[in-house]
Amino acid sequence: MTTKATRSPRRRTVVALAVVLAVLAGFIVRLVDIQVVNADDHIADSMDRALAGARTLYGERGSIVDATGQPLAGSIMLYDAQLDPSNVRTIKRKDDDGNTVEITWEQSSAQIAEITGQTPEEVRKVVEDALAENPNSQYARLVKGLTTQQYRKLADLGIPFLYFDPHPARAYPDGAVAGNLVGFVGLDGDPLAGIELSEDDCLSAKDGRVTYQRGADGVVIPGTERREDAVDGGTLQLTINRDLQWFLQQLIAEQVQDMGAQSGSIMVAEVETGKIRAIAEYPTVDPNDVDASPEADRGSRAFVNWFEPGSTFKALTAATVIDAGGQSPLSTVIASSDERFPNGARVRDAFAHPPYEYTLTGVLIDSSNAGISKFSEKVDPQTRYEYLKRFGIGEGSAVGFAGEQHGLLRPASEWDRQTVYNTSYGQGVTTTLPELVGAYAGLVNDGIRMPLSIVEACTKADGTVVEPELPAPTQVVSEQTSAQMRTILENVALQANYARQVEIPGYRIGVKTGTGEKSDGNGRYKAGSYFTTMIGFAPADDPQFVVAVTLDEPTRIKSSGANAPAFQKAMTQVLKTYRVMPATEAAEVLPKFG
Amino acid sequence: MNAAPSADILGMTPAAAAVAAAPLPERQSPGRRLHVVDAPARRRRRPKLVYGIVAVVGALAIGAAQMVLSILMTQGSYELSKLNEEQRALSYQKQILQDDIAGLSSPQFLAANATALGMVIDEAPSYLRLSDGALLGPGQVSFGRSSIDALGRAAVPNALVEDTPLVTDPDATIEGPTVVETDAGTDAGDGGVVNTPPALTDGLPIPETH
Repeated sequence: MTTKATRSPRRRTVVALAVVLAVLAGFIVRLVDIQVVNADDHIADSMDRALAGARTLYGERGSIVDATGQPLAGSIMLYDAQLDPSNVRTIKRKDDDGNTVEITWEQSSAQIAEITGQTPEEVRKVVEDALAENPNSQYARLVKGLTTQQYRKLADLGIPFLYFDPHPARAYPDGAVAGNLVGFVGLDGDPLAGIELSEDDCLSAKDGRVTYQRGADGVVIPGTERREDAVDGGTLQLTINRDLQWFLQQLIAEQVQDMGAQSGSIMVAEVETGKIRAIAEYPTVDPNDVDASPEADRGSRAFVNWFEPGSTFKALTAATVIDAGGQSPLSTVIASSDERFPNGARVRDAFAHPPYEYTLTGVLIDSSNAGISKFSEKVDPQTRYEYLKRFGIGEGSAVGFAGEQHGLLRPASEWDRQTVYNTSYGQGVTTTLPELVGAYAGLVNDGIRMPLSIVEACTKADGTVVEPELPAPTQVVSEQTSAQMRTILENVALQANYARQVEIPGYRIGVKTGTGEKSDGNGRYKAGSYFTTMIGFAPADDPQFVVAVTLDEPTRIKSSGANAPAFQKAMTQVLKTYRVMPATEAAEVLPKFG
Repeated sequence: MNAAPSADILGMTPAAAAVAAAPLPERQSPGRRLHVVDAPARRRRRPKLVYGIVAVVGALAIGAAQMVLSILMTQGSYELSKLNEEQRALSYQKQILQDDIAGLSSPQFLAANATALGMVIDEAPSYLRLSDGALLGPGQVSFGRSSIDALGRAAVPNALVEDTPLVTDPDATIEGPTVVETDAGTDAGDGGVVNTPPALTDGLPIPETH
């Protein structure tokens, strides 16, 4: 029954529906256009036009802590103050009684100067200079690196044309303790030296950003905040013990001064793990005040300097001839203080003596160059070269310190007639302190040389712990050779002419000295100037620590005897710090002469 | 809808339906039709009113809730802003306090304080074994001999505390004794000792921050 009367309302309904749908579709198209197609443009517009605010979220650079978790480097905030010179004018402010008072630029500049530590003239000059250059200048840096306290005081002055920029900076709570190792960062936050530089991947943070819109009263409008979180840097734990490090730094400073030396260092390494417990140096740097130290003192000499080791290498030669030449601590040679060898080489001792029948032990006790040269003939030069390589000489250390150097050990085929003998007592070859300490640690640790390390672990912000990758340990000599070398070096500590100086009551130690020649820069040795070393370990029957003391050009005592008092005190402190128990068994005394 | 209602729809009894099918004059009797239609019409009208009320109240409630929520949110953002301000002030205060104590825990400051008290770093240690009372080590006495001089020859600088007087000796810093003017005694004539820090009455002083 479709009549005109019934069709007309239905059509009206359909038409109305169509109109509604069309309008709706129009809205949807526009909505998609606004929200999806051109969304970015509109957001950008809103950020430009609305009362938009943005703030950098500074990630905190990771801290550096010692083996016991004490901080060596941490992050703080410093503030830079800027002026808007075009706006500098007399300001009006209500005082406590509600009266309006005027504060002239003269007065406010004096207030600013009092807090920043400048003179009022200096503050005004900043503004005058900026205006002289550009009358509409809106920016003039007043001062950099204000502390939080200074910043808050300045902010409390309520000066509208003075504003601030915070930036993260570094603080080193222990000052110069381990400053040579930790290094420092520049004013702009870039790492410049030491572990700050070499371990920057662990320590550096990623800045975040927050953007928002504000109402006219400055309150953030809910729901407009966009946030990209900052990622903090990781916490870097070192193997260094800061209390021991401080003691040794104080000690080496006194010793360098007492001996009139140019510089000195003390290094302590744990034998069984290869972990470096301290590298103390003098002169050194306080990372809180880098400018106070000359350029040359701002790094670690222990890692970047190499030297001719001298007699400390005799122990390495002795281990080689025991391990590969069938010798024992009681094997003998006849040696006078001035020996000529069949190939024409000539080797002299530091003191004159007639031909002695030296045991190998005796050669090391008297540190006889002629004696060790004769023993070195028991194996061929190539074998000695290979052993030195296995000891890690010329290889650098596994630490990978920023700017680390390595010694120079030429192949045996390049050794001339004299060098063949010279290398047996540490001449014609150079090494670094970490190389030497690593070699001795391997020598006394049942022949197993552990790679040295200074970084314990890096704990990232998300809690993951990253431990450094280290090369595999090396078996340098046999366990038996190592035991014999421990006995020989303990006898050096008992019978050498400096025995009483290095004695530690209650403990058994092993020790060897070295007096290295220095180059004069023209291919010759510098007369009367030496680089002296004393290296030893304790306890002698079960070594736990290797301690090395070096002095560069001591003048009061020119030989390695200059190092003895510092070595004795350093080793005593190491044994105390790590609660090493005194010895319960007596040492085995070996004869010097056959 | 203008079609004539059928008998079924109007709910007539079968008898009445038969009557409805009768010739027209019979159909035009009005009394019966009104009587039947009345009841459902009343039933329909009452729910409409309820729904209307529910819809209006609902709309008002939604509107009110939205207003309340909006007020709460605004209130909340003011609250948040206030708390943020407070947090910022506190973090400034924390930073200031941290700056104040930085370096006080350093080994050189501790050692200088200990040295000022006359403490020494002793030589070779001795250990007492508790299980049998045995003395391990040399058991020597130290006669005031120190292996290093942490105060007189301090050589490990720390710029953070270089001007901070020692706790145990206010006349010295970690860099050694500071020069004390000899006529300082005359200043003390009015009853006080110049170099003594003022006594703390109510805890450590707190820096003023806003």
